[in-house]
Amino acid sequence: MSSVTRDSDPLVDLYAGHHGWLVGWLRRKLGCPDRAADIAQDTFLRILLSRDALFAMREPRAFLTTTANRLLIDQTRRQAVEQAYLAELMQAGEQQAGAPSPEELLIAAQALGQIAVALEKVSTKAAEAFLLHYLDGLGHAEIAERQGVSTRMVRKYLVQCLLHCADLLPARHGS
Amino acid sequence: MNDRLQAVPEDLVEQAAEWLVRQGVDDPAEARAAADAFAAWKAADPRHAAAAARLENVIDGLREIRQSSTQSSARKALRLSQRPRWSAGARALSILLIIAAGLFPAVWISGTQPTHLMADLRTLRGEWTARTLDDGSRLALSGGTAVNLEFTPEKRIVRLLDGEIMVDVAPDANRPFVVETEYGTIRALGTRFLVTAIDGATRLSMLESRVEVRTAPDAPPRLLRAGESLTFGPNREESPEAVDSSLLDTAWNARQMVVRDRPLGEVLDEIARHRSGYLRYDRKALAGIHVSAVLPLDDTDRALQLLLNSFPELHIRRITPYLVMVGRAEKP
Repeated sequence: MSSVTRDSDPLVDLYAGHHGWLVGWLRRKLGCPDRAADIAQDTFLRILLSRDALFAMREPRAFLTTTANRLLIDQTRRQAVEQAYLAELMQAGEQQAGAPSPEELLIAAQALGQIAVALEKVSTKAAEAFLLHYLDGLGHAEIAERQGVSTRMVRKYLVQCLLHCADLLPARHGS
Repeated sequence: MNDRLQAVPEDLVEQAAEWLVRQGVDDPAEARAAADAFAAWKAADPRHAAAAARLENVIDGLREIRQSSTQSSARKALRLSQRPRWSAGARALSILLIIAAGLFPAVWISGTQPTHLMADLRTLRGEWTARTLDDGSRLALSGGTAVNLEFTPEKRIVRLLDGEIMVDVAPDANRPFVVETEYGTIRALGTRFLVTAIDGATRLSMLESRVEVRTAPDAPPRLLRAGESLTFGPNREESPEAVDSSLLDTAWNARQMVVRDRPLGEVLDEIARHRSGYLRYDRKALAGIHVSAVLPLDDTDRALQLLLNSFPELHIRRITPYLVMVGRAEKP
């Protein structure tokens, strides 16, 4: 296991060289070793899944902390939205018949958390178009009329938002 | 699950997003045409399907909100959490959150795939469990397994979504017992057997008695007897192989994996299913290596070490317990 390959994998080098440092940095920042390990893990996973790996090589530690910070912010936001939604439902009470199961609610909450993060990265108009269509079920033409844009533009908004939704790691729930 | 995550090329996600939006246009005929074309596009390539699934998961979650008529709660949550700081009033909220979290302990802790969250029975990676079903049949699940049950007065159906199950069927002449997978159905004829979801196929190993296997609704059933194993899926037309059923039985109870002449990639997939870290390997680079072994699944580090011992051409880099990479060693 100590053998070394000649053509080194840049990701392996990045991991070997800086993983311990990143965990330490996160632990100091968060004060929670488990969460620090999780975020560090997600940071590397994200780099692994993106094409930014080469870019990371120039300033590895700056790149790692930026990525980790972004993940932290996204995760906090995502969880805040999920929990606010669930709390809202509880406050609203269980007056509904055929209420969704906890699993269904959780899937809904996770999707909501995910889009909340994604929608922050697009214009407010695009975000509103997305919510009107997928949350409220409005048609393209109706949204176009409300916003004073073409249906073509509405489609463009929706695609934009979807792309940001895809650009995320799956939600992780730490204990 | 993180180790199942694959990089999906961006242009595919873009195409998937385009399709998804087009199937939501106002004109019903146009929307239907787009939906059909989208389905064909997804079927054309598993990477297309993977790209689409990422987006569809989100849309499905939002549909859930719509169907439960909780849009106003959703919008409120989006607005509320936008506040940069939590106000004093939010503290009351956080108490509710703890209650809310307490209601869903299992889902809160696990990082399971959303589709499997809905499964009737499931295990986390590295977790084994066994259950006696209503009819007296025994169902045992190894790590990373998800199963749906459909038991009616007429039939007993177990749907294997992922992972591996050992089935011990209680006889009932009036209610056939059927295991369904993505790639076929297995009808028990009073019996004990093992079903494993592997990459793009299903593997069935018979321990006792017989089953009938159908790989398509109109395909003739195949009879499989104790001591035989069959792998079936779209690109696998294999004939049954002999297995040592008592060895398989012992291995299952000892949480071991018995493989005979299996591709290394398949074996690593299975090890990954029992491991909480990230196991990375290049299937192509490892192609051609076949494994026959008995490996401990409750100690995956040792399993990897055993593989390394018997395959000097392998090269295992343990960067941390979270990230292990398997490749081919360089020739000296």
